[in-house]
Amino acid sequence: MGFWDKIAAIDRRWIYLLCAIAVVIPFIVPVSLPVYTTPETQQVYDTIEALPDSSVVMLTYDYYPSTLAETEPMSRAALHHLFSKDIKVVTISNIPLGGPTIAERVTRDMAARYDKEYGVDYVNLGYKANYVAVMKGMGTAITNIFPTDNSGTRLSELPLMQDVKNYEDIDFIFIVADNATADYWVAIVNSQYGVPMCCGATAVMAPKMYAMVGSGQLQGLLGGMKGAAEYEQLVGHPDRALRGMDAQSLIHLLIIALVILGNVGYFLGGRQRREMGQL
Amino acid sequence: MRRTAPVVTAFVAGVLVTISFFFNEQKTLIGSVQTEILNWVTIIFGFALTLGVVSITRVNFNKIKRRQEGWFYSLLVLVSVFIMAIPSILSSSWSPLFGRAEGSIYDWIWVRFSEPMMATMFAMLAFYIASAAYRAFRARSAEATLLLVTALLVMLWRIPMGEWLLKQMHTSLPDWINVYVMNGFNLAVQRGIIIGAALGAASMSLRIILGIERTYMGKG
Amino acid sequence: MTTYSVFELWIMAFVTLAIFSFLYKDNPVYRLVESIFAGLSAGYYVGLVWDTVILQQVVTPIETDGEWWLLLPAVLGFLLFSRLTRKYSWMSRVPLAFVIGATSGIYLTSQLQGLVLPQIRTTFLAQPVPGGSTDPGMMIALSSIVVIGVISTLIYFYFSHEHKGALGVTAKVGIWFIMISFGAHFGYTVMARVSLLIGRVQFLVEDWIGAMTGG
Repeated sequence: MGFWDKIAAIDRRWIYLLCAIAVVIPFIVPVSLPVYTTPETQQVYDTIEALPDSSVVMLTYDYYPSTLAETEPMSRAALHHLFSKDIKVVTISNIPLGGPTIAERVTRDMAARYDKEYGVDYVNLGYKANYVAVMKGMGTAITNIFPTDNSGTRLSELPLMQDVKNYEDIDFIFIVADNATADYWVAIVNSQYGVPMCCGATAVMAPKMYAMVGSGQLQGLLGGMKGAAEYEQLVGHPDRALRGMDAQSLIHLLIIALVILGNVGYFLGGRQRREMGQL
Repeated sequence: MRRTAPVVTAFVAGVLVTISFFFNEQKTLIGSVQTEILNWVTIIFGFALTLGVVSITRVNFNKIKRRQEGWFYSLLVLVSVFIMAIPSILSSSWSPLFGRAEGSIYDWIWVRFSEPMMATMFAMLAFYIASAAYRAFRARSAEATLLLVTALLVMLWRIPMGEWLLKQMHTSLPDWINVYVMNGFNLAVQRGIIIGAALGAASMSLRIILGIERTYMGKG
Repeated sequence: MTTYSVFELWIMAFVTLAIFSFLYKDNPVYRLVESIFAGLSAGYYVGLVWDTVILQQVVTPIETDGEWWLLLPAVLGFLLFSRLTRKYSWMSRVPLAFVIGATSGIYLTSQLQGLVLPQIRTTFLAQPVPGGSTDPGMMIALSSIVVIGVISTLIYFYFSHEHKGALGVTAKVGIWFIMISFGAHFGYTVMARVSLLIGRVQFLVEDWIGAMTGG
């Protein structure tokens, strides 16, 4: 076995160890490189900024706990932005496994920081099954699908919901999602009810969402942790996503180096084998 | 009867929802009917979520009963199901530990155990993708080289350090990647895929409504 | 961030490290937490459905508004459990057909009106350059890339006719576009997975070790 073959056959756990080191070091020795804002994130910020105070925004928690690292910073930055502008927030989750719990935990925590009152400044609708039916069903009246909020209080008893009957009373939808629900918010709610919306998407989803930003159906896009970091910076509350950017940089560089090394080994290893008469 | 009734049901429900699209939902009878149908859908589908719970409970119970290999882990599964489920269905008016609200057993366990567990399971994919990239991401052909070069450029562009490096090569390079790669080539392909997939989904929906597609019923 | 006690942080750190231990090799501690996770997830659904479906969507409207007819979807929902038996599984077909039929009705219109038409329409409009540049050269280049890319991708993926002649050339162009897009997608996927790892390491270093060291 030639040198390059040995390199190619290295135990995967050494690669794991390298990754672990690359992700830990920046938290011990932070560099805090500047984060440039992409036009799609700027568009999200500008759109929210242009909303009048006391507008009503629906914020979706359409993500599982598995992607919290990417999505929770987006939700928190969005709530910083919305609550600081005195915008009313109605949250919803279309994710059965953990979605409504995250929505309660994050929204109540952020609301407490801005002294927002439940039922007056914000409401957590919670979860109902079959998201396409939920999205379409709220078109006539939210109470059709959500007779109560997540805690079981009837919507008629919540002051904010006296003024928010259906999509006509919602000025903007801020989607934060890690799955296909974002497509249906666009295909059903934006197209049929004309509610403007933007999307905070996990990086896996983001490439697809560019098509919807390009078609004008989405007013901006936050793509993955980098998008969240840019948005945190814009709203003036640097937090977890921004602090994670150093680690993101180092581990990307490591993976790029690994890919290059793997390819160099692939080509040189092939030559080595040919020279040794193995090919 | 066993196959006709579901086909008729799917047809009626599908046609009513489709037709109501062309009417004012709030002012017409068909709009009201659609609203009620959708409410029923959310209720019925809600029950479907617990089908898996019954299944997982049954499988693990049988494993314990037969003392199959790993029965201890099955016991753990069952105990965890009940620890989570029982306090959540008891009324919170009896104790704040019951129900689903903050401070309940259900909420406490989920946030402290399940959230970090689930997040970590997916975090492990970072190691696997790094290892796979090292072993399998090869410039074997012109097409593969194009894929590889684009991937490396995008990975550089999406990190502050890489963005800085790209700017050293040409100040507009990061902008060009955003404009031409993401909003040009990528957008075009994603759009093509979206159009094709949406046409496929619409035609499949029509087949279901018309009773041509019946595989959802299973056998028998 | 939500604040946790030291005891809670230790629990969260233990389950995190227990799952990471699988990276070295499969082991009993990993299988222990994996089993607990499976059970807790199943239990979560029970609480969720009990509260959000049975209590909020059925019991409350019946009790307060007298909407007794909501018992019918509840019964239909209950019929779904017949799927778990061999003899009566056919009874689950009607509720299933109801859900699938109605959902198909939403799909049929929304996919065409909400995705196909706007995506086709905007393909043939001048593409706005992200960042607001009004450079006509950039705009023409971007618009051309989008039109050629959409058409060639559709031809490559969806035309089952043999890719020969003009169709073959267009399909070949489609492959090049697709490779660039999939490359971008791969780059983003790496970013996504790495971000999730960063999230867990951030918890371990900043929250757990941070709490111990007072940092």
